[in-house]
Amino acid sequence: MGCGCGDCEAMMQPYMDRVLSDDQIREAKEHLAACPPCEKRFRFEEKLRVFVRVAADEPMSEGLKEKLAGLRSAS
Amino acid sequence: MSESAPSAAETRRIAEEARDRVRFEEEALQLSDQVYRVARRMVSTREEAEDLVQDTYARAFRSWQQYTPGTNLRAWLLRILTNLNIDRGRRVQRTPEQQPLEEGDYYLYNRLESTMPDENPDEERVLERLSQNAVVDALAEVPHDFRDVLVLVDIGEFSYAEAAQILDIPIGTVMSRLHRGRRILKQQLAEKAVTV
Repeated sequence: MGCGCGDCEAMMQPYMDRVLSDDQIREAKEHLAACPPCEKRFRFEEKLRVFVRVAADEPMSEGLKEKLAGLRSAS
Repeated sequence: MSESAPSAAETRRIAEEARDRVRFEEEALQLSDQVYRVARRMVSTREEAEDLVQDTYARAFRSWQQYTPGTNLRAWLLRILTNLNIDRGRRVQRTPEQQPLEEGDYYLYNRLESTMPDENPDEERVLERLSQNAVVDALAEVPHDFRDVLVLVDIGEFSYAEAAQILDIPIGTVMSRLHRGRRILKQQLAEKAVTV
């Protein structure tokens, strides 16, 4: 369960979204450097976000692309 | 000079407007892949997403003069899209008590790790417990209000401020819905995780 302190778990989302203050970022980084279980969970979270983005991507069909182009005023 | 013959200035204005319009349409079409990517995860089926994107472009091309050049066109298009989506009444909201219980941010990792024989597995290996299909299914389980924000920020890569503008909600609401949406997503992923 990470380090069990709970603070870094609460800080995970804002840290990933880069919305913490400079002081909070420093605090989080110091903690992560000293706490491998939390650090690993943060790395997992970062990779998970990329994984979700890639997995959710379904390319647009050529048919739709043509239909959209056909909506132009001067096609 | 007769009334019916347009002046040189008028002719120039018409030509400029036509050129601006073509430029607008070209720029909007270049963003269609990104618009579709977001639309596809906001609705359930490919057909719905295609309809929604077509309606969005039809409306955008009709009201192109309402767009302020130099502002964020991608956000402008998504604003039209989310409004159309709401107008279609596609939102069947769950009542609050039906919303899934929330677990903490470490929940998914801890659940996946607990299914693995290794003592301290690499995070890459933990991530491999998830399938791409599970992500698609889990996203569909996230209630609409949370999912819209999640899709805009985590899949569309919009900023909090842009998502707030698109959905016409305060930034604080974007942040709280995003946080809850991600937790719900991770909880759903934990339930769908492959167990080999």
